[in-house]
Amino acid sequence: MPTHAGTPLIEVSHLTRVYQRPRTSLTKPGGAVHALRGVSLTVHKGERFGIVGESGSGKSTLLRLLCGLDKPTAGSIRFDGQEITGLPERRLRFLRHSLQIVFQDPMSSLDPRMRVRDLVAEPLVALGEPVGGRVAELLDEVGLPASAADRYPHQFSGGQRQRIAIARALAPRPKVLVADEPVSALDVSVRGQILNLMADLVDEHGLTLVFVSHDLSVVRHVCETVAVMNDGEIVETGAVDDIWIEPSHPYTRALLQAVPTLEGLL
Amino acid sequence: MKGRLNASLVSGAVLVGLVVAMALVSFVWTPHDPVLVDAGNKLHGPGDGYLLGADKFGRDTFSQLMVGARTTLYVGIVAVGIAALIGTPLGVIAGMTRWRWLSELVMRANDLVFAFPALLLAVMLGAVYGAGTLTAMIAIGVATVPAFARVARAATMQVMVTDYILAARAAGRRRLPVAFRHVLPNIGSMLIVQASVSFAIAILAEAALSFLGFGTRPPTPSWGRMLQESQELLFSTPRLALWPGLAIALAVLGFNLLGDGLRDYLDPKLRRIRAER
Amino acid sequence: MLSVEGLTVRAHAAELVHDVSFRIGPGERVGLIGESGSGKSLTALSLMGLLPEGVTAAGRARLRDRDLVGVPESRLKDLRGRAMSMVFQEPMTALNPLMRVGAQVAEVMTLHGKPRERARARAVELLGRVRLPSPEQVARAYPHQLSGGQRQRVMLAIALANEPELLICDEPTTALDVTVQKQMLDLIAEVAPALLFITHDLAVVASVCERVLVMYGGRVVESGPIREVFTRPRHRYTEGLLAASKLTPRGTRLPTIKGSVPPAGRFPGGCVFRNRCPHADVTCEKVPALTGEGHAHACWHPADRG
Repeated sequence: MPTHAGTPLIEVSHLTRVYQRPRTSLTKPGGAVHALRGVSLTVHKGERFGIVGESGSGKSTLLRLLCGLDKPTAGSIRFDGQEITGLPERRLRFLRHSLQIVFQDPMSSLDPRMRVRDLVAEPLVALGEPVGGRVAELLDEVGLPASAADRYPHQFSGGQRQRIAIARALAPRPKVLVADEPVSALDVSVRGQILNLMADLVDEHGLTLVFVSHDLSVVRHVCETVAVMNDGEIVETGAVDDIWIEPSHPYTRALLQAVPTLEGLL
Repeated sequence: MKGRLNASLVSGAVLVGLVVAMALVSFVWTPHDPVLVDAGNKLHGPGDGYLLGADKFGRDTFSQLMVGARTTLYVGIVAVGIAALIGTPLGVIAGMTRWRWLSELVMRANDLVFAFPALLLAVMLGAVYGAGTLTAMIAIGVATVPAFARVARAATMQVMVTDYILAARAAGRRRLPVAFRHVLPNIGSMLIVQASVSFAIAILAEAALSFLGFGTRPPTPSWGRMLQESQELLFSTPRLALWPGLAIALAVLGFNLLGDGLRDYLDPKLRRIRAER
Repeated sequence: MLSVEGLTVRAHAAELVHDVSFRIGPGERVGLIGESGSGKSLTALSLMGLLPEGVTAAGRARLRDRDLVGVPESRLKDLRGRAMSMVFQEPMTALNPLMRVGAQVAEVMTLHGKPRERARARAVELLGRVRLPSPEQVARAYPHQLSGGQRQRVMLAIALANEPELLICDEPTTALDVTVQKQMLDLIAEVAPALLFITHDLAVVASVCERVLVMYGGRVVESGPIREVFTRPRHRYTEGLLAASKLTPRGTRLPTIKGSVPPAGRFPGGCVFRNRCPHADVTCEKVPALTGEGHAHACWHPADRG
């Protein structure tokens, strides 16, 4: 069912990733873990695409593959029409330019021994682009003072650290922002700030957003389209509001019922 | 980023500082010429300008200890330097590589060197190239490579699974910049600790080699050789063995305490626990 | 049954928990909610006598007629695991990886004087009570062979082993998947004798507890029956927190609380929330007292007046 008009930007088809467990016996090889079992999805330009799943659903594996950080066992990922699977790092420059990621826990995704200036500039440096006054500009965009540049990540609160991570992701002016549970490690009182900030930035820069979360209600606030993952497969995909009101797959129904909501309880 | 000072760190630093101070002062001043043979003052007792007395050749023990500290530090620095310069890159490569076989190859080669006693290596090198400070340093250094490689590999592997390495790769960083910008700064503290502990081992090894006659050649003063020369007088003049023995023990203790203290001081995990309180 | 009065926790110069008072009756389930740095976990740890080194508690806490604060470790050791027990966030680190699960459950009982044979049998019974399928089999498993949710059930079985009067849970479901979380929450609500439930998640608290204490900056800023506190919050922090946790429709702005939670020990004097509060004025430089019967709040400019 087409949920979004526009040109396809990310096309994933029949993606499979099998991990080999390390062998535990001398005679038998280790077992295989099927992290992804033939996943297909399409993200259109300008779309806000949510991926929902629990631990072990394969969403993290899918993200790694999307970002060219891992190689699939089978299947293909096309970005802007260009195949990215199996490409060596030196031929992934176009992807690094166009797609950047924000990780779940800004405590662990920012190198503790680097200053904010270097952290934010890192994608530019890696791509061999001039940094110039870009760091101050980016910090300003995410609502941090320019003086933040000279400090270390541990001197900031969780919400501020996530702002730093967002500034870093925006540095090479990407077309796609991938966010991996960007607010689940944050306090509730700052969660809204980060989600608002991301919404603003996506609007302002006309970004395509791939937003991963275990929480369908957060995805519903952020995205228009969603894919629900379970056990390495997409069990259901479509407009978030449709799925929210009328989930068709039993897993989605179970997921929706399991999330405690204040509205439902009071 | 500051940890809290602890007793090991302070006492280790004081002991090491003492050895370093002795060595530095010996460049500009010693109470007597440490190598001057002076039959008139043979076995001169303590006092009278001879703080700790003189040995059977009439050389001032304290002056010899001061210059010996120089030898000790010199050997330690060069040996640990060799070990760190070879061991760290090996360990980092083994920890970062995607190819299991390369990692295995490096580590098994390490085991091979590790299984070979440092002293035996020094004696062999000495027999081939002639005994001396240089061969002793090289032998001790080579024998210490596996310790560094192992610590560097373990630390690198810990760093490689962190999110910030993934983030760096997602930002487009290639392997070499990742190694220099992210891995090395983050494993540095563990390498410093290892260097401190290896230094203590190197001091012991040098003393043992000099004692056996495969280390520093006479007349350059060395704590190990001072011990050896005092052997025959052990019962008549025990102080001659006591002072170099004490110097070795305290220097080794100092570097071990320093390593221990640094471990606590630099450990980010401990620091985080403190910060959260 | 549990009464806490004027509990204060200090680390060096910083006061991390200030003058906390509350009661829990038999069979009552009380939630303690707060964000990072609120002092909620320290409050629980001080009741258990498990404060980290260099952190001290003062004030009064009694479980029935036994003092919990300021008594020697030997007395507390006897109470811990017997009169009161605790379930932590991370079940993997709390279990011994080299010991079979059944033996670990039995151990807490033999430690408190139950004969070994009876303890073993009871351990299997307990594993069944926390709804682990085929408890005999689970008893023989090692922790790594179980899933996160199963391990947390084992932790609960250990906590319940000596029929404690009070169960303290510190974010017991935060590390679990949502589908597993719900079952775990239902189970806790069912088996807890009297419960102190610590979490940052408002919806989780609402699904388990009857009464709630809202902590911020080391103080209880509001307390009362869940339904009342969550539908008619008085303290501006509670109000902001509730607004912030509701997800509005797509395309709209989420309500937020400005600024971020200060690091522990760096909250402002007077009302701890005043540097983030939209209603703060000079009055707020004085510490507001926690006032009100049943539904109490510590705010100079409370919401929903009258």
